[in-house]
Amino acid sequence: MSDASQETDSPGYGLMGLAGAGILAAMGAIFIYVPTEKTEGVVQRIMYFHVPSAWIAFFAFFIVFLCSILYLWKKEREWDIYAHASAEIGIVFCSLVLITGPLWAKPIWGVWWVWDARLTSTLVLWLIYVAYLMLRGQSEAGSTRAKYAAVIGIVGFLDIPLIHFSVLWWRTFHPDPKFITTQGLGTGNDASMNITLLVAVGAFTLLYFLLMSLRVRLERMKDEIDRIKKERLYSH
Amino acid sequence: MNLYLSQVMAIIRKDFVTEFKTRELFSSMFVFAVLVMLIFIFSINLSVVKANQVGPGVLWVAILFAGTLGLNRSFTLEKENGCLQGLMLAPVDRSAIFFGKMLSNLAFLLIMEAFLLPVFMIFFNVELGSHWAPLLAVILMGTLGFSALGTLLSSLSSNLKTREIMLPILLYPLMVPIAIGSVRLTGQILDGKSLADMMNWVGLILCFDIIFISASIMTIDHILEE
Repeated sequence: MSDASQETDSPGYGLMGLAGAGILAAMGAIFIYVPTEKTEGVVQRIMYFHVPSAWIAFFAFFIVFLCSILYLWKKEREWDIYAHASAEIGIVFCSLVLITGPLWAKPIWGVWWVWDARLTSTLVLWLIYVAYLMLRGQSEAGSTRAKYAAVIGIVGFLDIPLIHFSVLWWRTFHPDPKFITTQGLGTGNDASMNITLLVAVGAFTLLYFLLMSLRVRLERMKDEIDRIKKERLYSH
Repeated sequence: MNLYLSQVMAIIRKDFVTEFKTRELFSSMFVFAVLVMLIFIFSINLSVVKANQVGPGVLWVAILFAGTLGLNRSFTLEKENGCLQGLMLAPVDRSAIFFGKMLSNLAFLLIMEAFLLPVFMIFFNVELGSHWAPLLAVILMGTLGFSALGTLLSSLSSNLKTREIMLPILLYPLMVPIAIGSVRLTGQILDGKSLADMMNWVGLILCFDIIFISASIMTIDHILEE
């Protein structure tokens, strides 16, 4: 058991350094390197936070889906921990998307919020995973909670394409994706903007993995404490 | 296969017998749905907006809200007196329990809707008689999806301490495609369009039904355990 606890005690300094360097590079690119956009002005720079956050949110929810399937299949606590950690990080970044979006929309569209397809589906997504975390909070720790959460993790992700199409046909005003267009990758924007966006996405992805490793470590420590507590309780 | 069907039928029959004995679910669902409609009529000015435009939304909100009441009861009733224990001890497949509960929820909702539609017709002054066939199809598809996902989540939330709160919180965000699709389709039908013009919505709702019935069959084993 000492080996396992040794392993959980060692923080990922390498990953931490890498993510830190990535964030610094992204900040440099966003605030110094990339020129100010002609029509939208300085407010356009928020896009370099908005788009990577959205990417991380979707990526995190996809990881929740994968880990939920793996949990129901293998019934190993490990997958439950990963799903839980990823859902929490996904909610943080999804909230960032919902905050940075209106900040940009107010000066550009003149309103904080419109009931556009992408805004609506992001909000619904946020609500689904908030419900997921609430379900986790409401049930006792153990395999029952893990199973219920896994079911919601799977069902919630399967719903995403359906929600996407339903709100898309409902109405849409969101600017078309500029980076991934039908003409190919990176043709919609200036080259320096594409580079900045890529650096930001890379930095946010590193940050996601860093947060994941920290959160997973925390959860393992909790398990360890529970185990020690039980051991002490029954040894007397 | 025949055995499986008779098992499913037995669970549906059990639910109907319970309902005929207690008579608490159906009447409360119907009265609640009428109340929801009434509150919406107070909150919108029907002399300004066209009934065809707001009516479908009100109808579906009433159906979804009243349906949630029914779903909440569906598995809570089984928890009382260890009924669910008995069901799980019975030598039937877990998916048969799911199908039985889902179909009885569907049947209760459809009966309630049959009573609710005339009320809707009178309150909103809309003509339903001329396009009853597409309307029936939309209501059937929408309610099927709602009962499929609702039964799955109800079986899950009935084990929580805060079950009455958690069921709608889990269910409503996931029901968005059904809510938007059914309201859209109902609205178009009331405007006299045919279903063939809106096959994308029909396809979407059918996809929802198929995806969540299959997802429920695959995951119900993990929920109805212990």
